[in-house]
Amino acid sequence: MKKPFKLLIIDDSEEILTALTNYFSQKKYEVASAANGLDGLKQIEAKDATFDLIITDLVLPNISGVAIISIVKKKFPETPVIAITGWGEHPESLAKEAHADFVLEKPFKLPELEQLVKKLLKQ
Amino acid sequence: MNDPSKTKLGPPIVGVSKNIERVRELIEHVAGTGLNTVVFGESGVGKEVVAQNLYQKSPRVGKPFIKINCAALPEGLLESELFGYERGAFTGAEQKKKGKFQLAHSGVLLLDEIGDMSLPLQAKLLHVLQSGGEFSPLGSEKEVKADTWVIAATNHDLKRDIEAGKFREDLYYRLNIIKIYLAPLRERPEDIPPLINFYVKEYSQMLNNRNLEKPSPNVIERMCKYSWPGNVRELQNVLKRMLVLGDCSQILDELFNSEKITATQDGAADSSMSQHASLTEIIDLEGANSPDSQSFSLKTAKKKAVEMVEREIISHVLEKTDWNRSKASKILKISYKTLLYKISDLNIVPPEK
Repeated sequence: MKKPFKLLIIDDSEEILTALTNYFSQKKYEVASAANGLDGLKQIEAKDATFDLIITDLVLPNISGVAIISIVKKKFPETPVIAITGWGEHPESLAKEAHADFVLEKPFKLPELEQLVKKLLKQ
Repeated sequence: MNDPSKTKLGPPIVGVSKNIERVRELIEHVAGTGLNTVVFGESGVGKEVVAQNLYQKSPRVGKPFIKINCAALPEGLLESELFGYERGAFTGAEQKKKGKFQLAHSGVLLLDEIGDMSLPLQAKLLHVLQSGGEFSPLGSEKEVKADTWVIAATNHDLKRDIEAGKFREDLYYRLNIIKIYLAPLRERPEDIPPLINFYVKEYSQMLNNRNLEKPSPNVIERMCKYSWPGNVRELQNVLKRMLVLGDCSQILDELFNSEKITATQDGAADSSMSQHASLTEIIDLEGANSPDSQSFSLKTAKKKAVEMVEREIISHVLEKTDWNRSKASKILKISYKTLLYKISDLNIVPPEK
């Protein structure tokens, strides 16, 4: 059996975090989650961390999604990052500057996000 | 590793509360990134200490650490301080002058009280940040590029300032890549005993290792119950007084007596909310200064009220002039000597450096 892809999802809204986690778990992904930027970053920087893809909200407590994208792209340039945003264009342009692989605006449909994940993981 | 002896080390972040532990953890994780950062927190909580710690744990340590107070200078002056000017850029510009942005190249620029920056200057700052540090000094056609890590600090609720049209939303998001929040001391009383320990040691050293008596457990316990509207800075001042004067209980009594007054004054300084507090409340006629009290007389009450007003005004002007006493004395239209006397008499203490 093929090893499942590992995702990290960072969002400070509990509803979205739960919805995304459940959805991708059902689709046989291995899912880790974090409710703020610092906890997300700690998981990314953990010694045994090997995330295949990261999904992050842009506006987060302490370390923003924009910071997460910049840090990931510097340390793990191969890891794709999808930014999700519902906050107008300012953080969105920041996410693009930080080289997010894709910026997805809320509201979106879960299968839409999954298609994007598949595409970026070249499944 | 960089040689830390080259740079003057700022104080560590002292405390055991969840907030402070989180702040330390955040600093460890983001100091190396050089991403724009905003430190939020009330006056006196130690925002500058956080900025210094970020700098000291970053690869930029040993490079310049430049601080500018955005509230202390009028707009035009702040602009020329930030970005510099060419010779002849305006009347009186006899020499070319480098701006703080350029002086902080390869190091850190701390924009203190960013919430007080004017909207036109916010636009210019945004432009500089968007272009990755490019700007032209006043009167110059050439663009200068500076690799400067921008850390901003504020006691404002910038979200509210955005709604009120006083702060640019795009600048907020550009600066707020990392957000560090320092809670007021009254929300983390468990930090008070470790802070006392730290500063007693520090002040003993400052006073040539004179063996200073640490406040007793009973005094420390009472200190934990006080609300500390002036936060760590106020704690430092009270400790200094205790160590020098020795009479801890009396200092504490005064502190608790003035708690109500301080709260009103502080509110008035921080927002327009309680600007209209009644005079009775300010003078505390119902409480500490009640005519029923033994020590009451018109003369003493009047003296107290005048001192209160003087302290408020002088502190305000000193804060606005970044503690430039000669500037402050001119604004107040009193002699420099009188100002120095009043500062010591009214026990006005400069902000922590």
